[in-house]
Amino acid sequence: MAVKEPMSGTPDPVVDAYKPGIDRTLIRENLKRSPEERVRALQQLQAFAEELRRAGKALREANER
Amino acid sequence: MNDFERILAGLRSTEVSFVIVGGVAATVHGSARLTSDVDVVYERSLANIERLVAAMAPLNPYLRGAPAGLPFHFDVETVRRGLNFTLTTDAGPVDVLGEIAGVGDYDAVLSVSEDVSLFGAIYRCINLDALIVAKRAAGRPKDLEAVAELELIRDESSSRSNPDA
Repeated sequence: MAVKEPMSGTPDPVVDAYKPGIDRTLIRENLKRSPEERVRALQQLQAFAEELRRAGKALREANER
Repeated sequence: MNDFERILAGLRSTEVSFVIVGGVAATVHGSARLTSDVDVVYERSLANIERLVAAMAPLNPYLRGAPAGLPFHFDVETVRRGLNFTLTTDAGPVDVLGEIAGVGDYDAVLSVSEDVSLFGAIYRCINLDALIVAKRAAGRPKDLEAVAELELIRDESSSRSNPDA
């Protein structure tokens, strides 16, 4: 192992504070997929996010008129 | 839209020595978080830098966030003089990194990587434990939030492979 820092065996209160807000069901669903399926799903999610941003921008511009 | 396949296939086509790290690596390991760029750690030999530059050229790389018109060229000399580059390309944002915090350079990252099958090819991807170390070392709030998810993924993966544990 060539990493310069110890593995994350020591609890970190900041990291632990984030954990209750993470949806474990999404993790479990992802772990049922292959790595390629996960990356393709990420690409689809990105495309969806881009479309939402585009729609939001169009809505703001329409409201300003 | 980001074209991960085009980016990775381009690097593979010119036989660049690289390892997938960052958010895409997190996705490979099961993360549900949205990431927008491809991060890779590349080997710093002259021959590999030449292959990297050749692979990136068709994607028209440019410094991300920099004003248009700067005299920036992603060429061999630029890469030799620099180390880590955050780029915008025709296929989406790409970070080409000579090293990453907490793990180190290409050889160090390669030693903690594993094969992953993507788009019909095999790539090297940083393993989950080392990715957690790298994210923790990066230390930004978004990295620590990512660490929290990656640790939960490790717990879930462990319980799936050892259901009686």
